[in-house]
Amino acid sequence: MKKIKCYNYKIDKNDFVNAGKVSSEIKKNLKKIGFTNRIIRRIAVISYEGEMNIIIHSEGGEIDFEIYEDKIILKINDKGPGIDDVNLAMTEGYSTAPSEIRELGFGAGMGLPNINNCSDNFNITSSKNGTKIESTICLE
Amino acid sequence: MKRTFYLEKEKCMGCTNCMRKCPTEAIRIVKGKAVIDDDKCINCGECIRVCPYNAYTSITDKIIDLKDYKFNIAIPSTTVYGQFTLGTEICKIHNALIGLGFDYVYDESWAAELVTKAIKEKVISDKILRPKISSNCPAMVRLIKIKYPGLLENIIEIEAPMEIAARLAIKKAKKIDKTLKDEDIGVFYISPCPAKTLSVKEPIGKDKSYINKVISLKEIYGDMVRELKMHSDRCFSNPSLTGLKWSISGGQTDACDFENSIAVSGLENVIDILEEIEMGKLEHIKYLEILSCNGGCVGGTYNFENPFVANSNIKHILKNIKEERLINDDIEKYKEFKKEGYFDIAIHEDIEEKKPNIKEAVEKMERIEKIYKKLPKLDCGSCGAPTCRALAEDIEEGKKTIDNCVILKLEEK
Ligand SMILES: Nc1ncnc2c1ncn2[C@@H]1O[C@H](COP(=O)(O)OP(=O)(O)OP(=O)(O)O)[C@@H](O)[C@H]1O
Ligand code: SF4
Ligand SMILES: [Mg+2]
Repeated sequence: MKKIKCYNYKIDKNDFVNAGKVSSEIKKNLKKIGFTNRIIRRIAVISYEGEMNIIIHSEGGEIDFEIYEDKIILKINDKGPGIDDVNLAMTEGYSTAPSEIRELGFGAGMGLPNINNCSDNFNITSSKNGTKIESTICLE
Repeated sequence: MKRTFYLEKEKCMGCTNCMRKCPTEAIRIVKGKAVIDDDKCINCGECIRVCPYNAYTSITDKIIDLKDYKFNIAIPSTTVYGQFTLGTEICKIHNALIGLGFDYVYDESWAAELVTKAIKEKVISDKILRPKISSNCPAMVRLIKIKYPGLLENIIEIEAPMEIAARLAIKKAKKIDKTLKDEDIGVFYISPCPAKTLSVKEPIGKDKSYINKVISLKEIYGDMVRELKMHSDRCFSNPSLTGLKWSISGGQTDACDFENSIAVSGLENVIDILEEIEMGKLEHIKYLEILSCNGGCVGGTYNFENPFVANSNIKHILKNIKEERLINDDIEKYKEFKKEGYFDIAIHEDIEEKKPNIKEAVEKMERIEKIYKKLPKLDCGSCGAPTCRALAEDIEEGKKTIDNCVILKLEEK
C-alpha cells in the first residue's frame, strides 16, 4: 500500500540534553492524526527505546518514521559500532550500559525486548558499520 | 454546565494573560475579549487566577440557599482548615459554620481516610497499567481526557472524598433526625476551586452527585471569620490525620505510604510528568498524585490564604492534634461501604477509540505546517491565539485569517 508520509529525525550520540525529543515529536504527530491510544503507546515505546539506544550505545543515527494506509514502519538506524551478539542483546535484562548510564535510570536491558514486544514485525541486523532495526505496526 | 465561572465582558481588556496560561489552549481573544472553548476547558481556574482585571466571576451558591432545605449539612474542603490564623481549632471552624445556619458539619478528612484505604487496596491488587493515577483533582481528570486520553485507563476509579463525605453525612443526618427524607437534606460543599464545583454540577464517572450546593470558599470566608470570633462552645469532630494530609501536595502519597509513588503539583509540572508516562516511562511507579494547583488543594483559586502559609497551618494542626481526639465510627465501616459501592466510579468507560482517516489527517497537518512556516514564530499572542502554531490551526479551520498576524502586517508596510 501507498506511503502517505515520511518523517526523518537525526539523533546525535551522547545527546542527553535532547534525549526523548524525537520520540516525543513522533508521539505528538500521532496524537494529532488521531491514532488510537493503543497504537500511540506502542509506537512511543518503540521510538523512545530506539532513540535512547542510539544516544547511549551508538555513534549517532536516525529514525525514519513512515506512515502507510495500513501500517507504520519505524526504521532505527545508526552508524556503528554494532552489536556483537544480537541474540544476547535481545534477552531481557542483558545490558552493557556502564554504571554512569545506570545512574541515569537506563540500562535495565529491557529496551530491545520492549521494541520487539511492541512490534507486529521486528527485524534487527547489526555489523560494525551500524545497527538497523525495522519495526512494523499494523493498523487494525 | 461545562464551566463554573464566566467572563464579565466589560471588565476584559483582551490582555492575553489568561490565553497564555491556559493549559489546553482553550482561550482565544476575539474582538478584544477572551472567549473560552468549553469543550477544551478543564476548569482549573488558571485564567481566574492570572486575570489582572478580575474579569472572571465564579458561579457559587450562597448561604441564603440554606432556606431551601429543612436540614443543612456543611462539608468544608479540608483546605478550609488552613485558611485561618495559626492555631485556629477545627471545632471552632465547625462552630462558625453552625453559627452561619448549618445544622451539621461533616469533616471531609474522614472520608479521605476511607478513600486512602480504598486506593491502597486497589493499587496493591491491580498490578497492570502503572502508574495508577489519582482521580481526586477533577481538573486533572479532565486534562487527561482532553490531552492524554491514552492515560485515562491509568486513572484509579475511586470516588473522591467529598462525595463519600456527602453520603456519610446524609446517613448521619437521618440518624440525628429520623423523620428527615432525602429532599429535606441540603448538602453544601465548601469548595477550594472551580474544578470541584464543576465535579458536583457535572459529575464525571457517575450519574449524579450527592452534594446539592457548592459555595466557593471565597464567598463564605468573610462570614466565617466574623462567626469565628463569636463561637467557642460545641465540638463536632476532629479531623482524621491521614485524611487532613489530602489538602496539601504530597498528602495522598504520604497517606497511602507506598514505596515508589510520586506527588506532582502545579499544571506545568503535571504536564511534564504525563508526557513522560505517555512515553512508557515511569512504569515502576505505583501511584501518581497529580494536582492542578501549586502546593496542592491549598493552592486552589478560591482559597483565601497564601498556599505556603496554609500548608504550614495544616502541618501545625497535624502536629498538635490531641491524642484523645474523637474517632469517627465511619472508619470501622469501611468494608460495608465498599460492598455498597460507595467508592465506585466509572471513568474508563468514557474512552472512545475512533479509527482515524489517516490520509485526511495527514493532509490537514501538512496544510497547518504550510501556514505555520509563513508565521513569524514569535508566539506574541497579538493575533488572539496563544502561539503561532495555534494560529496556524485556527486559520486552517477557517476561524482566523493570516491577516490576524500583526507582525506580518507590520512587515508588509
Ligand atoms: N544501537 C546500538 N548500538 C550498539 N549496541 C547496542 C545498540 N542497541 C543496543 N545495544 C546493546 O544491546 C544491549 C541491550 O540493549 P537494550 O536496549 O535492550 O538495553 P539497555 O539499553 O542496555 O537498557 P535499557 O534499554 O533497558 O535502558 C545494550 O546494553 C547494548 O550493549
Ligand atoms: S488541585 Fe485541588 S484545588 Fe486545585 S484544581 Fe485540583 S482539586 Fe481543585
Ligand atoms: Mg536501551
